[in-house]
Amino acid sequence: MPDEAPLFEIDGARFTAGGHTLLGPLSLSIPGGTFVALIGHNGSGKSTLLKILARQQPGEGAIRFRGRALADWGDRAFARELAYLPQVTPTGSGLLVRELVALGRYPWHGALGRFGAADRAKVAEALALTGLDPLAERMVDTLSGGERQRAWIAMLVAQDANSLLLDEPISALDIAHQIEILNMIKDLAHRRGIGVLAVLHDVNMAARFCDHIIALQGGRLIAQGPPAEILQPGPLEAIYGIPMGVMTAPDDGLSFCYAR
Amino acid sequence: MGERLRLGPGSLVGGLALAALGMSVATLALRLPPALWIDALASPDPSDVRQMLVRYSFAPRLATSLLCGGALGLAGALLQLALRNPLASPTTLGVSAGANLALAMAMLWAPGLLAVGREWTAMAGGLVAALLVLGLSWRRRLSPLTVVLAGMVVSLYCGALAAMLALFNSHYLAGLFIWGGGSLSQQDWTIAQFLTPRLALALLGAALLVRPLTLLTLEDDQAKGLGLSVPLIRLAALALAVALTGLVVGTVGVIGFIGLAAPALVTVAGARRVAARLLWSTLLGAVLLWLTDQSVQRLAGDFAEMLPTGAITALIGSPLLLWLIPRLRLTLQPPTGLGEAAARARRPLLILAALTLLLVALVGLSLAVGYGLEGWSVSGDLAEWRWPRAFAALAAGILLACAGGTLQRMTGNPMASPEVLGVSAGAAFGLIIAIFALNEIGRAAQLGAATLGALLALLAMLALARGSAAAPERVLLVGIALGAMFDALVTALMAGGDPRALQLLNWMTGSTYAATATDAGVALVAAFASLAALPLLARWLDIVPLGGAISGALGLPPRRSNRVLLVATAAMTAVATLVIGPLTFVGLMAPHLARFLGLQRALPQLVAAALIGGILMVAADWFGRTAAFPWQIPAGLTATFIGCPALMWLLARRQRA
Repeated sequence: MPDEAPLFEIDGARFTAGGHTLLGPLSLSIPGGTFVALIGHNGSGKSTLLKILARQQPGEGAIRFRGRALADWGDRAFARELAYLPQVTPTGSGLLVRELVALGRYPWHGALGRFGAADRAKVAEALALTGLDPLAERMVDTLSGGERQRAWIAMLVAQDANSLLLDEPISALDIAHQIEILNMIKDLAHRRGIGVLAVLHDVNMAARFCDHIIALQGGRLIAQGPPAEILQPGPLEAIYGIPMGVMTAPDDGLSFCYAR
Repeated sequence: MGERLRLGPGSLVGGLALAALGMSVATLALRLPPALWIDALASPDPSDVRQMLVRYSFAPRLATSLLCGGALGLAGALLQLALRNPLASPTTLGVSAGANLALAMAMLWAPGLLAVGREWTAMAGGLVAALLVLGLSWRRRLSPLTVVLAGMVVSLYCGALAAMLALFNSHYLAGLFIWGGGSLSQQDWTIAQFLTPRLALALLGAALLVRPLTLLTLEDDQAKGLGLSVPLIRLAALALAVALTGLVVGTVGVIGFIGLAAPALVTVAGARRVAARLLWSTLLGAVLLWLTDQSVQRLAGDFAEMLPTGAITALIGSPLLLWLIPRLRLTLQPPTGLGEAAARARRPLLILAALTLLLVALVGLSLAVGYGLEGWSVSGDLAEWRWPRAFAALAAGILLACAGGTLQRMTGNPMASPEVLGVSAGAAFGLIIAIFALNEIGRAAQLGAATLGALLALLAMLALARGSAAAPERVLLVGIALGAMFDALVTALMAGGDPRALQLLNWMTGSTYAATATDAGVALVAAFASLAALPLLARWLDIVPLGGAISGALGLPPRRSNRVLLVATAAMTAVATLVIGPLTFVGLMAPHLARFLGLQRALPQLVAAALIGGILMVAADWFGRTAAFPWQIPAGLTATFIGCPALMWLLARRQRA
C-alpha cells in the first residue's frame, strides 16, 4: 500500500434506481498517488461508483475526497483537483486536438478569465506528454479510435488535476492501443504522483499495469489488494462466479488468468 | 427509465374510437332525431333538408375523415419503417408541402392538369419533394437527423413558394388556401368512393412489403447480407407513402400531424412487429382524424365549414405527442454533437471580414436604392423612411441567428433553432394572448408577454425532453408538437373572424412594413447587446455541446450556465419575434451556413451566424420591397426563399474530410 493520504474515503455509499440497489452499502478507502483499477462483472456497480465519485450522479452515504466531504467542493475547485473521462466521449464537436486539450484549462481560467502563458504551457506539456504534437492541428473527429482517446486523456492532463477517474478508457481499442494508453496512464501516475482510478474490463490488463485492484460484485466490495493477491484462483472465482485458473508465462514471468 | 406503458394499441385505438363515436352520435342527434337515422342513411326523404344533410354531408364527411386519417397513418408508418427514422412523416419529409405546391402551380399555369387528376399532380409534387429530400441527405447515408433537416428545408421552401404564389394571385388561389388547410367538408360521396378502393390497394401493397420492411429494421448492411435489395424496398415503401399522401392532399388538402403522431403513438402503445405497426397506425390515423373532425364540428358550430380540420389536427395530436415523448423509446446513436463535421476554415478572420463588408454594402444598398413609380432610383433622401425597416430586419436577423446558434450548442442538436423548437411559437403565443386578453397594450408589455411565452416554451421543451440525455430526436419532437399546437390555435383564432387576426397574419409572415423607428431602435440595442455578450458566453458554448458528463467534469456550473443561456435565448427570440414574426427560419439557417463556411469554434461561428442572419434579413427586406413593387413581399418569407437554396446546396455538397 502506498503511504499517501487516501484519495476517497467512502462510508456506507448506496445508489438505488427503480427499487433496485445498484451499489452498496459500500465502505471503502481508495488509496491516492497510485494507479488503482476497479474491476467486476457487468452490472457490479463499478461504473456507478465511478460516476458518484466524479459527482456525475448523486449517491447516498458519506464520501470524502481528499479529506473533505464530496458535496462541499465547488464546481471548479473540484475540477481542478479531479478530472473525469466518461465511457463514451462525444463526436462531432468540430474541434482541433489543440482546442480540445485547451478546454481542459476551463477550471483554472473559468468563463471570463484570461487564457494566459501558464495555460498555454500546460496545453503544450499535455500534448507533448501524450505524444500528440504531430496531431495537434488535426480535427478530433478525423482521428482513429486510439488517437482520439489519447486526445481526451490529454485534455485531462491539461486540466492539471491530481486525480483522474477513467471509465473504461480502453474498452473500444485494439490491443496495441490498449497497451499504449495504459502505459501512458501508468507513467502519469508514477512520474507525477497522480492518483488514478480506472474502471477496467480486462483483469489481466488491470493486474499488469495497476498498483492496486478493487473488485466489486453486486454493488459490494468483494476483494481488494495488490495485483498479486487478486490474481489468484480463489479471489477470481469469487469475483466472477466461474472457475478460474492462473498461469505464468514462462519467458517473462507475467501472470494471467483464464476461465476454466 | 420511463415506466412501460401497459396500454396496448388495441385499447388505445378503441378508447379514442369510443370518444369519437360518442361525439358523432351526439352531433348527429342535434341534427336529426334518432328515429330517422336509418332512413336518412338508407333512403333519405329528398324533401327533408335535415335528412339530405346527414346523407350527403355528415356521413360522407365522417367516412372521408376515416379514410384520409388511415391513409396518412399508413404513409407515416411506411416512411418511419423504410427510413428507420422515428421523425419521418409526410409533413416532416416535405411530401405534403411539395404536393400542395404542385397543385398551386398547376392551378395557375396548367389548369388542364387538374382536370386529368388532382391526385396525380399532387403525387408528382410529393414525389419530387421526397426525392429532393433523399438526394440531399444521400451523402450522409440517410442519417435520420439529416433527412429531417432536409425535409424541413424542402418543406419550408415549398411553403414559401406557395405563399408567394398566393400573395400575387390571391384572387385565384383564395380557394386553395381554405382547402390547403385540409377542409373535410363534403357535398356528396364522390371523394369517399374515390378513396376507398385506392386505400385498399395501398394496404395490399403494404402487406406485400411487411417482410422486406422487417429486414430493414436491421442495419442496412445486415439487411443486404440477408439478400435484400435495400434501395429497391426503400423506394417502393416511399412511393407507396407518397401515393397515399398525394391522394389525401389531392382530395382534401394538407392534413398535418396524423402521419407523425399515429405511428409514434402506436409504437409507444406497444405495437412492435412491422405488420402490427402498419395496421395499427392505419387504424389509429383514421380514428385520430375522425375524433379531431368531430371535435371541430362540435366545438366550432356554425364555423365548422370554414375551420379547416387539417389545421386543427395538431390541437388534439400535439398534447398526445407531448404526453408520449417521455415514454418514447428511441433507438439512438450516441449524441452527435453538432452534426457531421465540416471542414475547418484556414482564415476565419478573413471570412468574418468578408461577411461584414457584404453586410455593410447591403445596408447601404437597402437605404439608397429603391424601385418606385419611375423605375429604379438611387438617392439618399428616402433613407429616413427606409432605415427603420432595414434596421429592424437587420436586428431580427442577428438576434435569431444568435439564439439559434446558442440553442444548437446548448442542446447538442444540429436542428435546434427558436423556430424549430417552438420557442418562436411560444413568444408569438404569449403576444397573441396579451393582444387578445388586454385591450390597449404598449410595446413594453408586448415584449414582456413574448419573453414570458418564449421562456415557458423553452422550459416545457427542456422539461419534457429530459432523461436519456435529451436525445436530439426527442427535443425536436417536442418542438414540432409545440409549434403545431400554436399554429392550430392561431388558425382557430383566425377562423373566428376577429379583426385583430388580420393584423396578426401580416405580422406572422414576417412583414417589416410597419416597423417604427422605436421598434428598430429597441431591436438594434438588443442585437448589439447580444453581440457584446457573445464573448462572455463563448467558453460555455464551446464546452456545453460536449455533453453533460464532460461539462460537469470540467467544473461548469450546470444549473447556472443553463439558466443564463436559457434566459438569453428566450429574450433574443422574443425581441426578434416581436419585430419579424415567428416564421423566418433564419435562426435555423444562419448557424449552419456559418458552420459550413468552416467556422467551428463558438465565438467565430456565432459572430458569423449573426452577420449571415443580418445579411439574409436585410437582403430579404430589400428584395421584398423592390421585387414586386407595388406589392410588398414579407421579409420573413423572402428570407426563407433566399436562405433555403443556400442551405440545400450546402447540405448536398460533398464534405471534405
